[in-house]
Amino acid sequence: MRLMFINGSPRGTQSNTGRLMGHFIRGFLQTEGNTCDMEYLTKNRRSLADLAEKFAAAQTVIIGFPLYVDAMPGSVKAFLEKLQPYVGRSDNPALGFVIQCGFPETSHNRYVERYCEKFSRRMGCRYLGAILKGGCEGLDIQPTFLTDKYYQYYNLLGLEFGKTGAFDAAILEKLARPEHLTSENMAQVIPFINQALWDAQLEANGVLDKSFNKPFGS
Amino acid sequence: MKYLLINGNPYHDHDEIDRYVIRLAAGLESAGNEVRVLVLRDMKIRPCTGCFHCWVKDPGTCIIEDDGREVSRQYIASDHVILASPLVMGFLSATLKNAMDRNIPLVHPHLEAIDKEVHHKKRYENYPVVSFLLEKEPFTDAEDIAIVTDLFRREAINVRSSLGFVKFIDTPVDEVQNALDVH
Repeated sequence: MRLMFINGSPRGTQSNTGRLMGHFIRGFLQTEGNTCDMEYLTKNRRSLADLAEKFAAAQTVIIGFPLYVDAMPGSVKAFLEKLQPYVGRSDNPALGFVIQCGFPETSHNRYVERYCEKFSRRMGCRYLGAILKGGCEGLDIQPTFLTDKYYQYYNLLGLEFGKTGAFDAAILEKLARPEHLTSENMAQVIPFINQALWDAQLEANGVLDKSFNKPFGS
Repeated sequence: MKYLLINGNPYHDHDEIDRYVIRLAAGLESAGNEVRVLVLRDMKIRPCTGCFHCWVKDPGTCIIEDDGREVSRQYIASDHVILASPLVMGFLSATLKNAMDRNIPLVHPHLEAIDKEVHHKKRYENYPVVSFLLEKEPFTDAEDIAIVTDLFRREAINVRSSLGFVKFIDTPVDEVQNALDVH
């Protein structure tokens, strides 16, 4: 199988989306004969129409992005708009998505997933589904027992996808945990993220006491 | 009331929504409101790069020095923001989405629980009500409208606003103006 992975992260090659999908692709490539073309939207910003043409010629495409204000980043939307000339073509590629967010619960990603599914249908692309995961900001400061588990799931998903051409529903479901948080979870998780992820960076930058700055007045 | 109309129509040659925004702005103004209109396609707004400078280095200020800052400044100073866009491939134009992505300096990185979900804390005391004025595509159906309306409701929560209305430009202007008066 020949896969094209379009990394739509505005962080380009330094993205959590790419880090997670690296494990998927490693699994995918374990099946002999499989190949993967990697594209970055940040590198194609001035040639989105060319990338759209490559999309149209592809067999299988996965588009990845981080959740930006509950949906796809504007730069990903700009690419989806360039696919308009190919709406309804009979030989459009099969299309899947990989979406991650910084919020600890996966449920935030479900709303844009519905858009992605509808978009695929409108394009006439066979919809492969979406790999969704919450809790993906600051992967490098999260305990490795957690991140290793995520990476292993992405790897397994890729391995299965490489063999069957489908996302394994059981792995998707495991990866999506926690879909929601209980109040007890929240009472633990929220202070941890606020401190370990945000206050630590604010402090390192010497601006912890300015974190609630209101540059546009009160 | 302070109204901000943000026109995210990317097309120069397709101006039905532009004319609608102008008529709505005139109506709101003649009713004694303070009204500002921004036409995004005439502004320079680079996409957010997810650098979090606005959260952890210079809290509240985006590192990109372009018109994106001005949009945020006017947004937070308004009582009600109306985001206008044609649906393009079933969603807001990239022009408008890019400008909205640049609004994250308006909230704080810290999380808190709201209605059993995790969202960002407020940076400012007051946030505007946000409404959407859209133009349908030839193939827009009820499912598309349900999908975008749910997404808008989510976005409103995350930027600590509340969702006013979602209307289409086949609605008479005075009906939209009446809907605004309610909020």
